[in-house]
Amino acid sequence: MAGAFDFVPAIAALPLLAFVISLFFGQYLPKRGAEAGIIATAGSLALSIWTALTVAGITGSETTYNENLYTWIVGQDAGAVTLQLGVLVDPLAALMLVIVSLIAFLVHVFSLGYMNDEGETGLPRYYAGLGLFTASMLGFVFSNNLLMAFMFFELVGLCSYLLIGFWFRDEGPPSAAKKAFLVTRFGDYFFLIGVVGVFATFGTGLFAPLTEGGSTVAQSFPQLAEEALADGAGAAGVDTFGYDASTWFTVLGLLVLGGVIGKSAQFPLHTWLPDAMEGPTPVSALIHAATMVAAGVYLVARMYGFYLLSPTALAVIALVGGFTALFAATMGVVKQELKQVLAYSTISQYGYMMLALGAGGYTAAVFHLTTHAVFKALLFLGAGSVIIAMHHEENMWTMGGLKDRMPVTYYTFLSGSLALAGIVPFAGFWSKDEVLYEALIHGMGTSDTIGTLLLLGYGMGLLAVFFTAFYTFRMVFLTFHGDARTDAASHATENRWNVKFPLAVLGIGAATVGFINMVPVKELTGAEIDYLHQWLNGDLGATASHHYSDLLHDVAHVSAADIGPLAPGAVSLLLALAGLGTAWKLYNVPEPVEHTDKLGGVKTLLMHNYYQDEYQVWLAQGVTVPIARAADKFDQGVVDGVVNGVSSVSLFTGSRMRRIQSGVVSNYATLMTLSLVLLLLVFVVVGGDV
Amino acid sequence: MTKRPRLATNVTFANGVAALALFAVMAYVFMTASFPKPDGFPAGSITASIGYAMFGMLDQAAIPAESFLVVFIVIAVVLDAALDASLLLARREEDGSVVTALTDGGRRLRGGVSGTESGAADADSEATDADPEATDADPEAADADGTASDTTTEGGEA
Amino acid sequence: MAIETQYYLLLSAAVFCIGVYGILTRSNALLFLMSVELMLNAANINLVAFSFQHGNLTGQVFALFVMALAAAEVAVGIGIILVLYRNFEDIDVTKAATMRW
Repeated sequence: MAGAFDFVPAIAALPLLAFVISLFFGQYLPKRGAEAGIIATAGSLALSIWTALTVAGITGSETTYNENLYTWIVGQDAGAVTLQLGVLVDPLAALMLVIVSLIAFLVHVFSLGYMNDEGETGLPRYYAGLGLFTASMLGFVFSNNLLMAFMFFELVGLCSYLLIGFWFRDEGPPSAAKKAFLVTRFGDYFFLIGVVGVFATFGTGLFAPLTEGGSTVAQSFPQLAEEALADGAGAAGVDTFGYDASTWFTVLGLLVLGGVIGKSAQFPLHTWLPDAMEGPTPVSALIHAATMVAAGVYLVARMYGFYLLSPTALAVIALVGGFTALFAATMGVVKQELKQVLAYSTISQYGYMMLALGAGGYTAAVFHLTTHAVFKALLFLGAGSVIIAMHHEENMWTMGGLKDRMPVTYYTFLSGSLALAGIVPFAGFWSKDEVLYEALIHGMGTSDTIGTLLLLGYGMGLLAVFFTAFYTFRMVFLTFHGDARTDAASHATENRWNVKFPLAVLGIGAATVGFINMVPVKELTGAEIDYLHQWLNGDLGATASHHYSDLLHDVAHVSAADIGPLAPGAVSLLLALAGLGTAWKLYNVPEPVEHTDKLGGVKTLLMHNYYQDEYQVWLAQGVTVPIARAADKFDQGVVDGVVNGVSSVSLFTGSRMRRIQSGVVSNYATLMTLSLVLLLLVFVVVGGDV
Repeated sequence: MTKRPRLATNVTFANGVAALALFAVMAYVFMTASFPKPDGFPAGSITASIGYAMFGMLDQAAIPAESFLVVFIVIAVVLDAALDASLLLARREEDGSVVTALTDGGRRLRGGVSGTESGAADADSEATDADPEATDADPEAADADGTASDTTTEGGEA
Repeated sequence: MAIETQYYLLLSAAVFCIGVYGILTRSNALLFLMSVELMLNAANINLVAFSFQHGNLTGQVFALFVMALAAAEVAVGIGIILVLYRNFEDIDVTKAATMRW
């Protein structure tokens, strides 16, 4: 019986098959392709769980898997690079596979209620897009080298574009889709340069070394970078193009970070995510909450062995993450539409994950990634349920009093909100708390500038906790509590099983998934219940979390201060409760008013998203267009000018030469005679042997 | 009444320089070349030998030559073809009009392709109609010659 | 005493060049044809001179055939001049200049 690892490519191939079926045969199926998608994602989920069990050692013989399956381009010369596609399964990948396939499965089921039951048209295209997206994301998760990761990275960007612009006949969605594609593409440009740089520097893009029977057959680039820093670039066979090795690795890391910032919607490339809410809500749940935006963070986690070698890159990541967390949280406070609040919340929460990664908290970042996927997908699906009941009205000020009319939606949404706000014992509390804890101890424990920057990130993240709790519960109270403000709200009804089932599953998840890594409880009781931390310390040495902590301490010179997790946890819990209490006081009334109007000019700034959109449009129109115009003039004038000049020389010569044909026979005879004389002269001069 | 021939002075002399140059080069080449002494002909009738050579009867020729029988026949055919060609070129239609390129809807153009018409186009066409009558005699005379040469050709083949 | 061959060649060259001069300068088409005849006969002189030099009659027989061909060519040439006159109203070769750029 073949092991689970032999079927790992099928995890991505099944949704790809669903894509093909939906695209070509979806119009003939009764559910327009949903059946294919649900069966495929259920199959992927089953295979992912089996893979995870194998990695855990419960089934099968091996616990990790790293193999090149397909050679795309063979390098011919001695130092040439060979491009291959392969599969890497280690604990991180196995965990992510389960998360992605679970959320994809639940979103497919939810789509039956959101799209099919609402009588939407063009559904084969929708399910095809979902299938292709799921396949691409799963392929991205088990990629074993940077080039393959880049290819799937771009594919998920494409699917995001296709799905955001699903209702392309309206005005908003096509524009939003274009914006999403262009902004992420801008970041991906730097990512591509980084990929090329990695291949040029190391000759390989593997994330983890290939082993065969215990010995290493091919080294991974984090490994090579480590050796280059220890022994020197030449000794490790690494070409750093004349730069100091650590400087060059920082440059490469920052280049790849460009793509991460774009895809995970961090400042300054965050502007596309709120506009992406023009797409259908299940799409928002799958792509823009749980999986695609996670791709950036997952990439950093995948390459973490490389990023740990460069403290500068870590500081940048932490600073960007912390700033984004606060920045987006302030903007979420004034939003009036349900999905917009959740969009800014997503940006903010991914900021937390980046903060954790920058501070060296690998387990904390992965933990928050897991819990966020669950509760953010839950919140989006709950919002979708509300939107269905409100006949596609999204403004919270038209809702109210829904908690009695839609109990399942309310309680699951509440579960998700408590998790998002970080109230114990829901999932978000444990993970967010650990993120902030890691930032704090590494900030306090490290002496030079990186320590200060980490503390700054911690401060911003801590402040964002208050805002997060506030806007989350403002959202809950405006939507579900109080009196119904419109007729639609007073006549809202609960939806069918295909909406309630995913909500229930995720609701339970949001409440319980935090128990996989309760570090404060472990400190209190001494019980070894940090399961996630142990899980991530798998058998593949290069990607084990203990290896990362060694690198963090030895190479990046980031050390942890000795502070217990209880006190910082208590501080963040207090802040979260303060935010909840403020929202309770202001909005948990029968007829709430828009208290944010009291902010005055600040509110205008926040409503306009700090004018970031206008700034980016100015960059395109005011800076890029003139440069493009100048380049065009050069192309037309110089490059085309040379070509046209050559042809005009030919035309001119021709127009002059043809005047020899005068039509008078005597002239022709004269020319012939003169030519004959010339020829004879040549013979006379040169001699007979011409 | 025609005038006595005069030396042509209204020609463009410029082109003739090429002919002079050609003569100069050829004269130089020929005068500086050295030829062996001419052999001359052995005793015998030159004309009879030419006749024998033309009919391929070289053994009866006093002076050596080559056989020109096939060439003789070919030249006969060529002369016949040239005759027919000249007749075809000179042909005109039954009604007396001439097949020519420079007509404009049945009306002949004076002065060439540019079509510069003088006012009395009809009068001109009448005047040119007089010319075909004068040249009518030539095709008939040529036809008589054609039939005559045809019989000699047939006699030659026999 | 036999005349040296190069004097025959010189004569032939002179006649040829007179013919070439006629072609290059004359505007009357009939005089054009006469010049062509001159050139052909210059070639005949050449043939006969070399026939005498080699002692072989091939040259002379060939010269006879050249004369026959010259006659044929003139016949066709006259026909062409006739058509030229019909089309251009004049036998001036410098007037018939429509096949030009």
